[in-house]
Formats: sequence, C-alpha cells, structure tokens
Amino acid sequence: MLKTLIEAFALISTWEVIIAMFAASVYGLVIGSLPGLSATMATALLVPVTFYLSPIAAIATIVAASSMAIFSGDIPGALLRIPGTPASAAYADEAYAMTRKGQAELALGAGVWFSAVGGIAGVLSLMILAPPLAEIALSFSTFEYFWLALLGLMCATLVARSSPVKAIAGMFLGLLVSCIGIENPGGVPRFTFGLTDLFGGIEPIPALVGVFAVAQVMRAMLTPEPPPLPRRKFGSIMAGQWKLTKKYHWQMTRGNIVGIIIGVLPGAGADMAAWVSYAMSKRFSKEPEKFGTGHVEGLVEAGASNNASIASGWVPSLLFGIPGDTIAAIAIGVLYMKGLNPGPTLFTEKASSMYAIYLMFIIANILMIPLGIAMIRIAAYILLAPRSAIMPVIMLCCAVGSFAIGNNMFGVVTVAAFGIIGYVMEANGYPVAAMVLGIVMGTMVEQAFVTSLIKSDGSILPFFERPVAAILAAMAIGALLWPVMVWAWRKLKPVRTGMAATSR
Amino acid sequence: MRLPDSVTGSFLVVLGTAAAYGGWLLPPVPGQPVGPNVFPLVIGIGLALCGLAIVFGIGHTFEEAEELIPLEDGQAAAAPPQGKLYGLRALLPPALLLFYVVAADRLGFIITTAIMVYVTSTALGAKWKLALPLAALSPFAIHLIFGKLLRVPLPAGLLPTPW
Repeated sequence: MLKTLIEAFALISTWEVIIAMFAASVYGLVIGSLPGLSATMATALLVPVTFYLSPIAAIATIVAASSMAIFSGDIPGALLRIPGTPASAAYADEAYAMTRKGQAELALGAGVWFSAVGGIAGVLSLMILAPPLAEIALSFSTFEYFWLALLGLMCATLVARSSPVKAIAGMFLGLLVSCIGIENPGGVPRFTFGLTDLFGGIEPIPALVGVFAVAQVMRAMLTPEPPPLPRRKFGSIMAGQWKLTKKYHWQMTRGNIVGIIIGVLPGAGADMAAWVSYAMSKRFSKEPEKFGTGHVEGLVEAGASNNASIASGWVPSLLFGIPGDTIAAIAIGVLYMKGLNPGPTLFTEKASSMYAIYLMFIIANILMIPLGIAMIRIAAYILLAPRSAIMPVIMLCCAVGSFAIGNNMFGVVTVAAFGIIGYVMEANGYPVAAMVLGIVMGTMVEQAFVTSLIKSDGSILPFFERPVAAILAAMAIGALLWPVMVWAWRKLKPVRTGMAATSR
Repeated sequence: MRLPDSVTGSFLVVLGTAAAYGGWLLPPVPGQPVGPNVFPLVIGIGLALCGLAIVFGIGHTFEEAEELIPLEDGQAAAAPPQGKLYGLRALLPPALLLFYVVAADRLGFIITTAIMVYVTSTALGAKWKLALPLAALSPFAIHLIFGKLLRVPLPAGLLPTPW
C-alpha cells in the first residue's frame, strides 16, 4: 500500500505531469468561463494533445481541465447571469441575484470553495468505492457485463431531462453507429457501404468533438452574442467561506453525496447533479422563500454537488468501461489509447497508476483555490474576447484535432457529420449524451451480448441464472419499463397530472 | 431546425428498418447460432419501435420546456434578423470543415485555415479589423502547437511555414 503510494508519487512528480496539469488547469478555467464552451468540449478538444503525452500526463490534463472548467462556469453565471457551462445553469439566477445585492465575492468564493470541497469528496468516494467494487467485478461473467452495460444505458435515458423515448432512441442511434466497421463477431464489413474509410468504424473521439464542439459553433451562428462583462473591483473572495461551511455543513455533505451518486450513474453528469441538488436544497431548506433572491444556501449545495460528480463519474469508467458522464466517456477513450484498459484488473495490476489518478484529482482540487481566485479577478478581461474571435479558433482546433487522431482526413469528415447530427438532435429534444454513451459502449455491449448468446447456445435462460446477473437484469428491465408505467399512470389519472403540472 | 416529432419519428422508423434489414443480410458465422447479424437486428427493431412511439407522441409529456433565462429590463433583446436563409447559417461550420478536407492538401494548411477563420469570424459579426488579423495570425499559432510541438503532419501546400 505504502509502496504503491510512493510509486504513485514518483509517477506524478515529473516535470511533464506538473506542466501538463498546470497548463490544463488554466485552459480549463478559461474555456469553462466562456459562455457556450462547456467542460465536455474543453476535454474533447484536449484529446489530440494527450496523444503526445505519457499516460499519466494525459490523464492529468483531463482531470485538471474538467475539474476547473466545472467551477469556472460559475463565474459568468454569477456576473452575467449566463452560465459558462451547463453545470452552472441550475444556480446562475441565484448567483446573479447575489451579485446584484453586492455579494459577488461571497457567491464566487462559495463557487471556488465548495467546488474544491466537492471535488475532494468525489475523489474520496472514488478511492473508497472502486477497490471493493473491483473485487466483486472480478467474478463477473459476460452475462453480468451485458446486464450492467444495459443498466448503464438505461440509466442514461432515465435521467435525461427529456422524453425517455427520445433518449432511448438516441441511445439506439449511438449503438447503431458503433455497429459500423469490421470489428464485429464475424469480422465482416458491416454498414460500410463499400467505403474503406468506414472499415475501422467510427472513432468515438471525433464523434464527440463533432457533437460537443462543432454543434456548439453551429448554435452560436444563430444566437445573439452575450453582453460584455462590466469591470468591477473585488474584495476578499475567500472571506466568510469558513463561516458558510460551518453554517451549511449539512447542505454541503448532502450536495457531495448526491453529486457522488449522480456521478456514478452512467450518463448523468455535473449538470444533472447541480439541478437535483439545487432543487433538493430548496425543498429541504428552512427558509425556502429566500431562494431566487440571492441566497447562498443553494449555491453551496449545488456547487458541492457538481464537482463531486466529476470524480465519482470515473468509478464505473475505470471499473467497467461504462462512462459515468460525457467527460468520463472521453477519458475512457484516452485510457484505452494509453494502454490503461478499464477493468477490475486495473486496480490490481496498475495500482500505482490508480493512486496517481487519485492524487492528481486531489491536487487539481487544491490547485483550484488559488487559480480560481486569480481567474475570478481577471475574468472581466478574458470575457472581453468576442465570440467572433473564439469560435473560429475552436473550429481550427476541431479540424486539426480530428485530423491528428488518425492522421487522416476522414476524421474531419466525421467531425463535420456529427456536428450536424448533434445539432439536429439537440434542436429536436433528443439527448446527445445518450447517443454518446451508445457510441462509446456499443462494442462492449455487443461483445457481451453475442458471447453470452454463444455460451448459452441461443437460450435466454442463462442470462438470469446467476444471482448477480438476475439482480442486474431485474434492475435493467425495471428501468426500461419505468417510463411506460409512469406514462400509463398519467393516462389513467388525468386529473392528478393536471394538478401536478400546476404545482410544478 | 425544430422539426415536428412525426418527421423525426418517421425517419427513425425508416432508419431502424433499414438497419434491421441490413443486419439480416449479413452472413452468419459458420457453426455458430449468432454472428454479426444479431446486434444490428435488435437495435434496428428497437430504433423503429422508438420511432413509432415518437410519431404517436408517447413520452411527449416528459419533455420539459427549454429553460430560457429571461432578460433583465436593461438588456434589450436583440431581435434576430429573420429570413428564409437565416437558419442555413448553422450549416456554415460543417461546410467549412468539408472545405478543409477538400482544399487543405492543395492550398496548404495556412491558406485553408485562414479562409476558414475569416469566414467564421465574419459570419459571427466581426468587423474586418478583427477578422483579418485573426485570420492572419491564428493559423500560425495553431500550426506552431500542432505541427511543430506535437508533430502532426499538416499539409504544407502553397505556403510552407518558415519552421
């Protein structure tokens, strides 16, 4: 244990890792604070750069950039009422109301402080949850993996803030995309339409860049530019945070726990964690009437929640290759590329790398406090950059980055195509995250499914015979039928629905 | 680009059916009950069923209206210029990426990306005073990072970089 820890320290105390981490932190802070550029996009655009780094440095950049971007989305939320990332959308109104009351320092300070605390709580959950789960996962057969993957996909559709039918359709689309290529049980070209470029299949990373970055530039083409940030002098940012921690320690803990749970659920990430925690905070608050008027309580809980979900999202990713959120989906791609294939054996064979990941998360969250304060002070200057200067550079990064992944132009075509797909899906209420999950997990689902079917000789029964498999199966089927039941319930009791609609 | 649910749903039905049929046609693995054909078949059928459900409006009640943050009194909403072709502007970024695919090898990285930057920037409302220097400088900066530091083989074309 101690030896592994020392090894892990040795892994991360190289200049490459330190510089990569610092640079990625600054990058994450800047991208996160610019409205319209999300944390997922920041991570996706980092991937081509990670190609040229050592495995630990590559993961360091992703860890640092994603943690920082989730926090710095709070900055324009508080100062402009425009969330920098979707994860800050839940409480942008509240934070802006505080700024108008002259409490910008308190709002932003709470953002930094409780983000850092939440991030560290998330790492602790990763450290505590992952090893025992790895122990259990070692005895999993393909049947369990199949149900687990299915359960993961279903979770993603359940928590989507959209119609579950559309979410399931999005998931199927992603799975269909993963069918393309010759990497299938028969090794035959499938859905390649005779194009050699499609033989290798659709790489998840260019698809992600298209869906999250190009689609965002496309949306920017049709939306008006956000107003510039008024320059202001800040007082002490961390003043009063300790008092808040003591006053709201219960809210903070609840936010951490909710964030961890939502992070572990596949497909649901920081934005969902923030929405749920903010709503929860309001629901259980002693003074709910103050919410919306610039009350810090909700900020504490939601800020603690969205950063906690970032680290805990790595739990299913590292153990099973099932991404806990879209950022973890990108991280999985990088892990595979770097020879750290997700799976329970990662914790026994590459234990020092795992410890290195924990340590990097902790360092990133501590680093967040000084860098975050600096960022808040200079945010007014960074936000001066007009959108018409940032978006073209994002476009260039998309083009070059997608080319660099395979050194071929087909990557660029993929990015463009998925930009359109992502844009159309988003505009019509199909959750993009569900499709992304389908693309990332498709090969794994198919492998588990087909291997299980071959093992069982075409019979369905063995899918339910092993106890863990049966439990997972019951959960997955329950998740599938849940929307149907809710729908039937609402149809049968139309009066109740009417009441529920007005009370919401 | 908000299409009626019946349109997107029907599209999914067609796509799902095509996928299932395409999967059906694939050759099985000799001696095995299942092969590469099973998974597309299952997905295709699932997708088609989802499409049908969407056409019939099942699950529509779950959709939450998009939460637009209302504007303050001081911030007047700039009315977006309306027009039939306005919506097509969204297609500009993917079109430029395809332009990169076609032109980069012939024109070279610097020239192609300079055009991309200038067009994107202007389309987002930049004056030439911003767009022109941006188009002149950013390709070099990106080339320095990716081409020089990360050794991505970017096409030189007509205008090779000095390094």
